[in-house]
Amino acid sequence: MAATTTEEEDASELKLGADFEKAKCLMNSEVAVILERKYEQLQQLPDPANQVSQVFEKSLQYVKRFSRYQNPNAVKQVREVLSRNQLAEFEVCVIGNLCPDTLEEAKALVPSLAKRSKSDDDEDGITDEKIEQMLADLATIKKFE
Amino acid sequence: MFFHIVLERKIQLHPRHFGPHLRDKLIAKVIQEVEGTCSGRHGFVVAVTNVSDVGKGLIRDGTGFVTFPVKYDCVVFRPFRGEILESVVTMVNKMGFFAEAGPVQIFVSNHLIPDDMEFQSGDVPCYATSDGLVKIQKDSEVRLKIVGTRVDVTEIFCIGTIKDDFLGLIGDPTAGG
Repeated sequence: MAATTTEEEDASELKLGADFEKAKCLMNSEVAVILERKYEQLQQLPDPANQVSQVFEKSLQYVKRFSRYQNPNAVKQVREVLSRNQLAEFEVCVIGNLCPDTLEEAKALVPSLAKRSKSDDDEDGITDEKIEQMLADLATIKKFE
Repeated sequence: MFFHIVLERKIQLHPRHFGPHLRDKLIAKVIQEVEGTCSGRHGFVVAVTNVSDVGKGLIRDGTGFVTFPVKYDCVVFRPFRGEILESVVTMVNKMGFFAEAGPVQIFVSNHLIPDDMEFQSGDVPCYATSDGLVKIQKDSEVRLKIVGTRVDVTEIFCIGTIKDDFLGLIGDPTAGG
């Protein structure tokens, strides 16, 4: 029973459907910060009825395993660097999650980025140089975390 | 991908909870009712972070229960077709392998695994290249692309591929290009 909405969705073209087009995306590292804080709060409650759900537990394990930046300050810096360029929320988070090393990798992982950066006339503000600069900045943050 | 979105829900509350702690009770009820649920439309609700708005309650005829429209912020996990994400392999068999990314299950069929990787049975079944350098087995970390999602009312299931550039085993020395 596939819903009809999924037919139009395609993340590689940034088509996320009406509900998520303007929604705020979160990087794994950001989710880790949120969930860990919430988990700590729950642990402090004496009430054993506050069992965390399986979805919560699995998500927490997942983001802990795959978050590239452990330090909340570094996470904030990453968000800043990525937001400086005219990227869509979704693109910001894919790059923040997967941390591509090269321009080619970044373009392969974020096809919508490749499409826009093809024209070098700087119309919508993204060029190969800017992407490379951005990746270099991210690598620096990672190094000094 | 994880999202932070605002959702709305009608919460029914028994009149015995009416008092100075009404709001706390409502918040607890929202969390209890929505956390851990999954809908095809919004994905998995991982955690409620804030209850932003409680509307005017409406008394239900005949029962005394009151329904409050409540707006809350929450973290949801919603997979999309075309999305690339990292996952952990949970099971390998000759049909392909299953992987998990947070709450969602992803199946990668052997047709969507590169042709140079062969299934090898044994104590630890795996997909490996003939030189044995790249090996996908249980607990391996794999980067994959979602090619299809099956959305039920209460569940989301994904089909993934690792047959593309920059996909496959994470930390794989031969990946890329």
